[in-house]
Amino acid sequence: MKRTVLISAAALLLAASAVYTFGDIARPKPTPAEGKIVFHTRLQIVPDAKAYEARLQISQESLQRIREASATSANQSPTQRLLQSSTRTMMAGVFMFLAVSFAGVWLARSGQKRNHKIAAGLVLGLIWLGATAIIVRANAGPPGSFYWRNLPENLTKGQSTSGGLDIEIVPGDDGIKLLVPLKNPKKPGEE
Amino acid sequence: MPPSYMERAANISIAGWSGTTESARVRVRFFTIILIASACLSAALASWLPLQVSIATVFLFAGPHNWFEARYFLMRLPARFGRSRNFFAVAFAGIFVLTLAYVSLPLLYYTNVWSASNWPTAIAGWNTLLLLWLGALVLLRGQQNSRRDWFWALPATFALCALNWLAPDLFSLGIVYLHPLVALWFLDRHLRRTRPEWLRAYRRCLLLLPLLLAGMILYLARTPSLADDNGLFWRITQHAGAELLPNISSHLLVSTHVFLELLHYGIWIVALPLIGATGAVWSVKAIPLARRRRGWPKLIGAVLVCGLFIVALLWIGFSANYPLTRDLYFAVAIAHVMAEAPFLLRMI
Repeated sequence: MKRTVLISAAALLLAASAVYTFGDIARPKPTPAEGKIVFHTRLQIVPDAKAYEARLQISQESLQRIREASATSANQSPTQRLLQSSTRTMMAGVFMFLAVSFAGVWLARSGQKRNHKIAAGLVLGLIWLGATAIIVRANAGPPGSFYWRNLPENLTKGQSTSGGLDIEIVPGDDGIKLLVPLKNPKKPGEE
Repeated sequence: MPPSYMERAANISIAGWSGTTESARVRVRFFTIILIASACLSAALASWLPLQVSIATVFLFAGPHNWFEARYFLMRLPARFGRSRNFFAVAFAGIFVLTLAYVSLPLLYYTNVWSASNWPTAIAGWNTLLLLWLGALVLLRGQQNSRRDWFWALPATFALCALNWLAPDLFSLGIVYLHPLVALWFLDRHLRRTRPEWLRAYRRCLLLLPLLLAGMILYLARTPSLADDNGLFWRITQHAGAELLPNISSHLLVSTHVFLELLHYGIWIVALPLIGATGAVWSVKAIPLARRRRGWPKLIGAVLVCGLFIVALLWIGFSANYPLTRDLYFAVAIAHVMAEAPFLLRMI
């Protein structure tokens, strides 16, 4: 009995100490807020021997789009809003389950070939949509880094390079940063 | 059959028939021209001055079109429900409860019963009730004829409920844009019954609708959004979905909505009364509840006169405080949107 009491007391002490131990864990660093891509456009990098300062030229239309995008970036997209609402996601799932179940009951109880044809048509339509999506994605073209692969050489030669560009709005006040996708850039002295 | 009879039949002059056919053709042509001209004029006006036309049309036609709809529904209401008793019981109960719930939603919101973040859930709940009510009506209507199997309505209703819970705001906006098109369906059913020779021309004219909409989208897609700097303009752009679809020009949204509304008003106020769907406007004899033995002609007449007073009251309200009257009107007008469902189902 005495032994049991001792073990219980030790266990309780251990459990209580865990609270203090947990309390001493360093506060997690706040995860930096991620940027949000608001639209896609094209960028051309042009070396200019006569220029004294780097210049960023933005067309009036692009500037307008950036303004509109930054104004609406505070609003969440429907997908984001949905992901935050578990009630709505669950309700949508329940109703989708009911829809599929009763569609099966309808097909099973209706002996009409016409209904079976409609169902087969719907399934074929979905397959067609899926196949089209795969084909379109397969023909989506080379990745963005392909267009930027000759940037270092072109800069050396004084030639321009152009490629796709995502305008991303990031938090903070660090000015403007250009990230160029260069796959396996050659290190100096590697040639 | 004696040969003399055959001779008589052969000698019947068809001159009169050809004349009738010719006049019928002229009437169909006239009807087609009016339809096309009205649709094109509506699209042009809605694209040119969307906000101004929206204010003017709601002011002028919102009340009268409700009166014409109410009169039409009274005409379509059978004197005795018979086998349709359950159908009409569910229909009227649904219209009453759903309207009450819809009107109380903003009232509950402004009394802080729930927060703004729960607003989409409340809207999704109301939309679900609406869909379940519509599904029940379709099933009840299907049961009235043993040859119909309308069980498909159940999975379709649940699928729509699922979509509604994914994006309740967009679903409600869909109702705003789809409701005016229901009037086109009413006209189709009526022409099929009363003017079958006009139906083909009408359905061909309907093909013009997607073309006009596509033209409006192409023309207005890149136009700058409308200046919604005052309360009224802001309400109109919000009603058309400017906040939900920020990447689409509000000019396009408002123009499209106004165009569809113009068609809706035109059908209820002009087209259906002209083809005799509502009977003589001043007479209650065409209404079964007033016509039947021991009917209520005086009560029906009083209801219609009261309706005219409400229309006049609405005009006075619009003149005194347009934004407030507009808000009140669109909150209560949900009743007429729902009332269309059972009467349309009765015609299918």
